[in-house]
Amino acid sequence: MSLDLSKVIDQITDMVTRLKTGRNERLERINSAVATLRNQSEGLDALKKKIALSRGKTTWLVAEPVEKLDIRHSLPPIPPDFTVLATDGSHIDVDRHHAAHCFLINIGAVALRYGSKPDAILENQPVMYSEDSDLMIASPDKLREVPIEGNLLGMKRSVEECKRLAEMAASIPVGSLALGIMDGTLILWNLEAYPEFVTETLLEKGYLVHLEEIRKLNADRKIALASYISFPRSTDVVNALRVALCPQEFVDSDKCPACATRECYGISGVRDRDLFAGILTPGERSALFISPSKIQRHYGKHLVHFFYLKLNEETARVEIPRWVAQDNERLELVHALLVDQCERGQGYPVALSEAHEKAVVTGADRENFWRLVDESLVEKHLPLAESEKSRSKRTRWL
Amino acid sequence: MLKDKLGEVIESSTTGFTAECYELYSLPPFGSLVKTADPPVEIYGVVCQAGTSSIEPGRRPIARGKDEESEAEIYSANPQLWKLLRSEFRVLVIGHKQDGTVYHYLPPKPARIHAFVNLCSPEEVKQFSRSFDFLDLLMNAGPQVPVEELVSATLRQMSTAQEDQRSFLVAAGKELTALLGGEFTRLKAILTRLK
Repeated sequence: MSLDLSKVIDQITDMVTRLKTGRNERLERINSAVATLRNQSEGLDALKKKIALSRGKTTWLVAEPVEKLDIRHSLPPIPPDFTVLATDGSHIDVDRHHAAHCFLINIGAVALRYGSKPDAILENQPVMYSEDSDLMIASPDKLREVPIEGNLLGMKRSVEECKRLAEMAASIPVGSLALGIMDGTLILWNLEAYPEFVTETLLEKGYLVHLEEIRKLNADRKIALASYISFPRSTDVVNALRVALCPQEFVDSDKCPACATRECYGISGVRDRDLFAGILTPGERSALFISPSKIQRHYGKHLVHFFYLKLNEETARVEIPRWVAQDNERLELVHALLVDQCERGQGYPVALSEAHEKAVVTGADRENFWRLVDESLVEKHLPLAESEKSRSKRTRWL
Repeated sequence: MLKDKLGEVIESSTTGFTAECYELYSLPPFGSLVKTADPPVEIYGVVCQAGTSSIEPGRRPIARGKDEESEAEIYSANPQLWKLLRSEFRVLVIGHKQDGTVYHYLPPKPARIHAFVNLCSPEEVKQFSRSFDFLDLLMNAGPQVPVEELVSATLRQMSTAQEDQRSFLVAAGKELTALLGGEFTRLKAILTRLK
């Protein structure tokens, strides 16, 4: 039975009416946030101090400002010859209803060379993981194991995306000018929910190793690195403004319910992207900020900074490691080439969208994959134990 | 890559095959004689349809050149296009060769997928066109192919390999007159395209 949309239509109408009534109030909040950002841009040191004092006492993430809050950086010049590298991945998760315990990660990788010798490489590499050691992360004492599936598989995939990007970066000629882009965040904050040895395996011995490989390639070529978040939902900068507005010496979320004045309430619910959409003009980038995520304590020289980038169609969040943030040439390369990529890609970086196209695994691909696995088991006379639930979904009856 | 290697078979049947070009837009001319091999048989055919499109059916190309001065600049500014578009051509099988003998009728088996497709050399064209028995297969090419256009294009292409182009075309015209009997309009349509 398919979804009965006639039973949902009234609920959709209610939602739309509610959103329409709330629209004016939302716009007021955004205007108020913009005004706050401008007012607070002078006392940066005092704000930084207040944010530092509030650290660990707020239930929400607060960005650490690096530059004057309302600074606008105009679009730097685009170099004549450059390469854009991008990787993206998709996966087929472990399915406990199938006999074979395995998962698959498909990494799409793209290198686009622009300028005097234009060229393109578009490729993908699917890798299947089925060994016990592939499917689990074990603690050093081998006493604990965490299965790689669900969210953790998503992070394993990020590690593989970064690894492939580092390989591609290593293959470009010495002396090249390049930008490497990944989709989504550079901060594997989901790892906070797992034991420390998982973070050690995936982050310290995985992701950060590959980021370091890319950084080191800069000895004889210029490679900037960034991740691109389209339509970001984060509120880290608005939260910094809430700290600024708080009448107390520092913010302590435990005391907020007792607050009578609620100065920060006027800007709560505003997203950073709405704030910067009201400040920047297309092509400009915002000030730099440092992401406050707890997992960042592991990042060291790759400590993730971010800025917002205003494009014609949207305001995106761009994350960069510290070695890019602190090098103006590389930072400008990220800024210029991302704007250029979005212009070439109808609003979204073309290299990322092609990497996605190479990586994507459709529902039909998933079915074919499991069918191939099952058929191969049958061919070798291995037992094809499968859950009744899975079988019942495939063989529908009346 | 060999000079005359055009591409390889990606779809095949008894009466024809489709080949994908190795290089975008490097399509053989309409009506040219090409061959593929399923050893020990060589399969001959003529290019009866060709085109270029997106490699993925769901992704249609979009217009990109509004601010570019030349078509070449569109490709320089979007280098991925060379990898996302493909040129294909459809070949109508009109004969085969086995043990050195050319037969102007369908081969025993269709071409294999991924078999290489080559443009025939002038010597091969000359050898193949010693007889006009292939015209019958061309005339019955089916509704997807503009038959009169195909027959005349094939004969024009073949004539370029002959020492005496005019006598070749005159001989072909006589053969067509016999084949088409009273179908004067069709005959005229072909003959006017041979000039």
